[in-house]
Amino acid sequence: MIRAPAFLSGLGRFYIGLVLVFLYLPLVIMAAMSFNVSPFYQLPFEWTTEWYVALSDNDGLIAATLNSLEIAVMTTIIATILGTAASLALFRYDFAGKRVLQALLFPPIAIPWLISGTAMLIFFFGTGVGRGLHAILLGHVALALPYVIIVVSARLATFSKDLEDAAYSLGASAWQTTRKVTLPCIAPGIVAGGLFAFAVSFDQFVVSYFLATPGQTTLPVEIYAAIRKGFTPEINAVSTIIIVFSMSLMFVVSRFFRFGGDQ
Amino acid sequence: MARVEVQNVSLTFGVHKAVDDVSIAFEDGGFYALLGPSGSGKTTLLRMIAGFEFPDTGSIRIDGEAVENVPVNKRRIGMVFQNYALFPNMSVADNVAFGLEVRGEKGETLRREVADALDLVQLGALAKRRPHQLSGGQRQRVALARAIVTKPRVLLLDEPLSALDKALRTDMQVELKRIQREVGVTTIFVTHDQEEALSISDRIGILKDGRIVQEGAPEEIYDRPASEFAATFLGEANILSGTAENGRLRLDNGLAIDLPPEGGTVAGDFRCAIRPERVHLSALPDAATAGGQLQGVVKRRSFSGSLSTYVVDCGGKEIKSVVQRGGGTAIEIGRPVELRWNRDDLVMLPAA
Amino acid sequence: MTGKRRDSGLVKAMPLLLPAYAWLTLAIFLPLSAMVYFSLLTSMSPSGQSATLTLGNYATFFSDPLYATLLVRSLELGLIVTLVCVLIGFPAAYVLAKIFKGRAREAIFLLVILPFWSNSLVRVFSWSMVLREGGILDTALNAILPFKVTFDLMYSYPAVIIGLVHSYLPYMVLTCYLSLQAIDDALIEAARSLGASRFTTLRRVIAPLALPGVLAGSALIFIPVVGSFMEPRILGGHGGTLYGTVIEDQFTAVYNWPLGAALSFILLAVVLVILLVSAPVLRKAA
Repeated sequence: MIRAPAFLSGLGRFYIGLVLVFLYLPLVIMAAMSFNVSPFYQLPFEWTTEWYVALSDNDGLIAATLNSLEIAVMTTIIATILGTAASLALFRYDFAGKRVLQALLFPPIAIPWLISGTAMLIFFFGTGVGRGLHAILLGHVALALPYVIIVVSARLATFSKDLEDAAYSLGASAWQTTRKVTLPCIAPGIVAGGLFAFAVSFDQFVVSYFLATPGQTTLPVEIYAAIRKGFTPEINAVSTIIIVFSMSLMFVVSRFFRFGGDQ
Repeated sequence: MARVEVQNVSLTFGVHKAVDDVSIAFEDGGFYALLGPSGSGKTTLLRMIAGFEFPDTGSIRIDGEAVENVPVNKRRIGMVFQNYALFPNMSVADNVAFGLEVRGEKGETLRREVADALDLVQLGALAKRRPHQLSGGQRQRVALARAIVTKPRVLLLDEPLSALDKALRTDMQVELKRIQREVGVTTIFVTHDQEEALSISDRIGILKDGRIVQEGAPEEIYDRPASEFAATFLGEANILSGTAENGRLRLDNGLAIDLPPEGGTVAGDFRCAIRPERVHLSALPDAATAGGQLQGVVKRRSFSGSLSTYVVDCGGKEIKSVVQRGGGTAIEIGRPVELRWNRDDLVMLPAA
Repeated sequence: MTGKRRDSGLVKAMPLLLPAYAWLTLAIFLPLSAMVYFSLLTSMSPSGQSATLTLGNYATFFSDPLYATLLVRSLELGLIVTLVCVLIGFPAAYVLAKIFKGRAREAIFLLVILPFWSNSLVRVFSWSMVLREGGILDTALNAILPFKVTFDLMYSYPAVIIGLVHSYLPYMVLTCYLSLQAIDDALIEAARSLGASRFTTLRRVIAPLALPGVLAGSALIFIPVVGSFMEPRILGGHGGTLYGTVIEDQFTAVYNWPLGAALSFILLAVVLVILLVSAPVLRKAA
């Protein structure tokens, strides 16, 4: 390309720097404050880890964290299996109405979570499914499915059907072909899809918020309740942990799957 | 190793007749080329023999067994794909072992058969490599080893050499032929490259619009093409069309030539073909000294190494002649020439 | 493909597709249908025995101007946030796609996208430390400026906008980047070689080709922002009453679910209409 003059490209770099500051400054400040003595974020800064210690005594938050992890793991397993199976079907077979079926995968992403969440609340409540962790799991899998299918399908798009044909021509059954050729070849996509599903579930607030009950809640819902009751430095501490955890997870995803998102 | 028999097979995709009532037999141990332009149905026919597609009507027999409803993985065939389709998640040895493993073979037998197959294609040293670490020619050999290690009844090759550059392709043709002789497997080879088909196969089937237009030994098809399409698709040909009477053919531009002896009885609209290399040229001092079958004036000429191609204008009809470049001097453009050929080299074509 | 062949494709695909679609039916499609039904009930008796069907909840929306006002306010907020994201995100994506190269580009792109995959609630919360009086911005400004200023954006409309832009900006950078990256540099060179200035090249060549990315990003931002309730609650305080917070109230405070369902359904309808109206534009741009 025609190289931008030095001052223009310098300006561009400076601009990106500003955008990154905007994106990261509040997070950095929050992390710093989680190590500050003053519970009202007063400066000067004095180092402490007491909020993290306090965190370890907060049974409510710890229970919610365990719930979040448990639901995220189960969402990952279920959404990855269902999503990979659906992606394979959409990749392998051609049939009338396929485009409509594919379009029907997107409502969980395209509809505001507020609406999905309240709709689930009404339906689960009305049908006796009820609220609680099982309801949250039902919702999270539905929200994560489209992401898994998008990521796995993107990987399948780079997979040549000839490889499956080759396996069949060598005498392999459909199952042997899937297990020994197709799945190993698209494994990076499946792993990335699974990690996406984990992130979607672990960070999900809106849908969980409507489906949680006092005893059966997730970490974001618990944090929201705490924020609305009033700031406490413990929230800073747990938020910092969440941010570090989520970002590390997505950093790993990006290693598996270039850029960590092609939706 | 088996005889493959295709009988009255048709397959329609929507309204498009991909394969239209094709019957052809592939004898045990033979090396067959299916030759045709893209869209002629040659790959579809191959995929039906393989078992990836199923004919709407007709039968396919391998070794006498009707297989038209048997899925590919039960047909005991071997196939080499255009882009080799080597499993990227497996080593060379694992690729070759795959077909044996899914049949339940294991241990020492499996290892020995894989090693033998790799030795046959001279790749024993690269057994541990991954496909992406191999050159195009090496991948080709692995694909071949993988296809034959299971001792298939028939080996199917779908344009296997088209991804290679020209020099490598020629080497691989020789290599492929050697391996096929050594293994003795009935081989069906799909290609759109007529030179490749001529040089490699025992027999050629030419396809057009889903039909077999001619089938026979390479020399036979080249020397006696059964249609204008066969004549022009397989090599080059001058097509002479006109009206036949009394053993002569009056061309559309008014000139006349002798028909071959067997053409004495034909009459009416008629076509003949003659290969450019069978048309001999000699320069005339001037246009008045007539001789040969036709006379004309050199219009264009081009060189390709050892050969010269002349285009001669014979009363408005262009005729091509290819001659060996010997010690003599070339004929200049604009020189009057006479064209001679052996009457037997003229091939009579059915009316279009 | 013949009809027969396509049918057999569906038969083979069904066992693999069914679990995913069954799950979506249970967790998305049936709930949405239930919501429509619920929005037509007079009271929130789940069994529906004492409840009768009514359009009253929809009438409430139209009779009390508060709801329409809030809906307009939410749509306006969606528009503003989307616009700010375009203004900040497009140049950032452009710099990323056309100035940075190789590993630096990959690394910075990752940095921009990464926050998107961490908890949005926590990220919104983190702004409260920056924006409040005695917060970082206030302290920093007073340290630099010779005179005393009181800086307190917390619990204000601008705070809500800042928080939402922060939440959704990565979407815009992502979609713009993907379409900008797909533009062949040779096109830009060709425009320049024909005598176009940088600005003309941007306006006549780059912007039209990048439009699908801008529009996709806009849709991805506008839809959730219109339904946002958590961000206005945390950063907006009393000024943060929006259409989304009213819906939330119906479900968590007032317990008038039928009204909440009607309000949700109206929001869904408005979003769908906007998507349908813009669909031809989107398709043309793509």
